Amino acid sequence: MDECIRLEYDVDGQNFASAGHASESVKRMLKQMGVPAQTVRRVAIAMYEGEINMVIHAHGGKAVAEIYPDHIDITLADHGPGIADISLAMQAGYSTATENIRSLGFGAGMGLPNMKKYSDDMQIDSTVGVGTTVKLRVDFEE
Amino acid sequence: MTVSEFAKQAGYTVFSEGEDRAIGSGYCGDFLSNIISRATDDCAWLTVMNNVNVAAVATLIDCACIILCEGVAPDEAFAARAKQLGLWVLGAKENVFEAAKKVAELCGV
Repeated sequence: MDECIRLEYDVDGQNFASAGHASESVKRMLKQMGVPAQTVRRVAIAMYEGEINMVIHAHGGKAVAEIYPDHIDITLADHGPGIADISLAMQAGYSTATENIRSLGFGAGMGLPNMKKYSDDMQIDSTVGVGTTVKLRVDFEE
Repeated sequence: MTVSEFAKQAGYTVFSEGEDRAIGSGYCGDFLSNIISRATDDCAWLTVMNNVNVAAVATLIDCACIILCEGVAPDEAFAARAKQLGLWVLGAKENVFEAAKKVAELCGV
């Protein structure tokens, strides 16, 4: 197995102000490593959406980024309410966000669709009442 | 046209400054997921949202500047974060449509 750089972040579920710190940090690291700008942007968007989902829906969680020479694996794990119908949640425009969340600019129903769009592989494992783990892979080769 | 030149010519308030880049396009919107998915990295982003998440999204998309329209000002957390991240945040009294027209006219986009 290739050597990887592993970065771990606690995503604070009570704090919208800190949402995005993990993806910003990973973005900086990838830029420093010389990963192409468009790829860095894809990683940052996919990871940011995941972070935001954990804040909005799951009271926070853990984000882990594992950077390999040719790709990045991102794991976003929470102990929130879980997703009852994943195919419905994947539909663009579907959202369970409250009005309060929408007033902050979130809840467009584009979170999971954006994560899928900007990653090369996405796996969702969710159990209602237990939590959700989303695994993303983004390849560095265009 | 660079952001500083645009701010001066448009007569917009400068809430915070960053790297003085050229404005190459524009994007209007308030839903953050739409913006990060669709806005381009040289754009002026026109919005009426004024919370700290705007700063996070602007960093992700690498926009040239944020233009807060309709007299909106950044809240305290947003202003502090924008300064820390070196983001251009401008303020327009016009609505988003009128401000977008000004971006188009002055920047030729």
